[in-house]
Amino acid sequence: MSEETFKSVKDLPSTRLLCGGTPMCSGCGALEALHEIYDILGKKTVFVNAAGCMTLLSIYPFTPFRGSWLYTAMASAPAGAQGVRDALDILIEKKQMPPEDDLQVVVLTGDGAAYGMGLSSTSAAIDRELDFLYICYDNEGYGNTGQQFSAATPHAAKTATSKGPRGYPGYKKDLFSIWAAHKPPYVATVVGSEPLDLAKKIEKASELKGPRLIIAFSPCPTGWGFDPKLSVEIGKLAVKSGVWPLKEYIDGKVIHTKIPRKRVPVEEYLKVQGRFSHLFSPKRNEELISEIQARVDAYWKEVEG
Amino acid sequence: MYRIRFHGRGGQGMKTASRILGTAFFLEGFEVQDAPRYGAERRGAPIFAYVRASKEAINERGIIKEPGLVIVADDTLVAMPAAGVLQGVTEDTVILIVSVIEAELWKDRLNFPGRVLTVIPPGEGQSHERAFTGGAIAGAAARLTGAVSKASLEEAIREELIPLGTKVVEENLEDALSVYEFMAEHEGCVAPGTAIAVEGFTPPNWVELPFEDARLSSPAIHAEATSEQIKTGLWRTVRPVIDYELCNRCSWLCSTFCPESAISVNEDGFPEIDYEHCKGCMICMTQCPPHAISGVLEREAKGGEDNET
Ligand SMILES: Cc1ncc(C[n+]2csc(CCOP(=O)(O)OP(=O)(O)O)c2C)c(N)n1
Ligand code: SF4
Ligand SMILES: [Mg+2]
Repeated sequence: MSEETFKSVKDLPSTRLLCGGTPMCSGCGALEALHEIYDILGKKTVFVNAAGCMTLLSIYPFTPFRGSWLYTAMASAPAGAQGVRDALDILIEKKQMPPEDDLQVVVLTGDGAAYGMGLSSTSAAIDRELDFLYICYDNEGYGNTGQQFSAATPHAAKTATSKGPRGYPGYKKDLFSIWAAHKPPYVATVVGSEPLDLAKKIEKASELKGPRLIIAFSPCPTGWGFDPKLSVEIGKLAVKSGVWPLKEYIDGKVIHTKIPRKRVPVEEYLKVQGRFSHLFSPKRNEELISEIQARVDAYWKEVEG
Repeated sequence: MYRIRFHGRGGQGMKTASRILGTAFFLEGFEVQDAPRYGAERRGAPIFAYVRASKEAINERGIIKEPGLVIVADDTLVAMPAAGVLQGVTEDTVILIVSVIEAELWKDRLNFPGRVLTVIPPGEGQSHERAFTGGAIAGAAARLTGAVSKASLEEAIREELIPLGTKVVEENLEDALSVYEFMAEHEGCVAPGTAIAVEGFTPPNWVELPFEDARLSSPAIHAEATSEQIKTGLWRTVRPVIDYELCNRCSWLCSTFCPESAISVNEDGFPEIDYEHCKGCMICMTQCPPHAISGVLEREAKGGEDNET
């Protein structure tokens, strides 16, 4: 493969390696991103999955994966990945496994693990220059346990633990910058509704060595309160409104891969989701809506210079 | 003791229904247990909820195996073994199904000696946007037991749903009261069941398993893509149908967006939907540029199949 593999959407794979029959919710944006990613990484992978919705993918004796997968505690997927990487290296070194059978080690966790509980073990793994790919599917809350807020929850969103009239009082943590501050070979943001951008980035990441980290924005019909059929539309709106910037960190620089020139008002994105309905009814909360808009505008002002 | 079992799909308000009914019983001075149960499956998958209510202390625990009333909020669940709708029913059990199909026909199909009732879902034939609320289901159960007054039902709805806003409360009240009226002629048809005594308990046939090496006893899966065997197509209530006359063959779109990997691309570049696994999220319908995919109610699509065969 080379950078030229995915020039247009027509080049996207249609192999559908991740098979159906999983217990994920109908319309799950995380599952959508994962199957797009899996088509590019292929089955010579071993997924190390921290507790969260996606750990329910493989429930004995059923799995949608064609390669390996294992389950770790919520904070320790990068530590698990270290063990797997070491084991593979030792097998190859002792000639108990031919090098061509080597596997790509992929950490898969939710935002609860990535932005919170598992952040220190990730930081340590990056420090050790562990050769692994980290995929965080970001559904902006502890989805599996009923959508409590996490450090990835956006300001004002209603969650199971922020039900008041102003929603979540905190602000979404900038995990991209935290990861990039470690100066790893690659960090990127993706979303399943932009499959070409996603394919290019996953391909690029899989060709590099060392710690490579991806945050996949994952619209969650159950946790965010919208009809499953809108899942892709909401992903697109997040990009078009500027709420979810598509970018990558490579060679010490941050590059935006898709700059929405005419951004749609964030309101368009907010009003289709139950978790923001208190901003619009019974009374419109102009103050909070403008605050959210102002933060997005400020971000892009800095990007566009 | 009243033992009521609810069957629905994740997202259909069964948990809410059980909470409302439980609270309403409580307001009537009953001892109450109410609990939802779901497995690993999520929104769209079959789920269960249980309510026990008694004037005496309740010593039973866990799932309800001998229900006095079974409520099925989605009639596509009846034929689905995993939903276990008929589990433990006796001729004294009352079954209420939310369905446009007549009760007599259900009784026939199920070959069930007891009482079967149906209630027609709202907006049937107009749109499938607004589903039956949990309030409606609670209202039906309340009237069928005859042990819950209208006032307690209303109070329970307000108490349980006020955090969700006044619109939700109003919708649920409207549904609950109309179903409560609709069920008037069957008031009290659900009789409280007798207490289950320890003497009558037969222990299950325990099987002793020998201690195995971790290599054998740990839950390792040695085959790939085994989840193929799980037919998540049964979750679907609306079916996406492709009109191949309109299809542009831009199948990389629908096939890529489908979270379930349920749309494959055939040799001619046309998308093909795997109905055994499609959960009916309808993302493909909303994303198809030439609008070649439409939504057909699963019941009607199934009906068509039955007629063909
Ligand atoms: C140390 C620890 N605390 C709590 C839990 C319970 N738990 C299981 S999954 C989960 C939610 C994880 O959230 P996230 O990482 O965002 O993944 P999602 O569920 O959203 O897919 C929690 C809290 C756990 N498994 N381990
Ligand atoms: S709760 Fe959200 S992230 Fe989890 S399986 Fe359901 S849709 Fe996906
Ligand atoms: Mg999460």
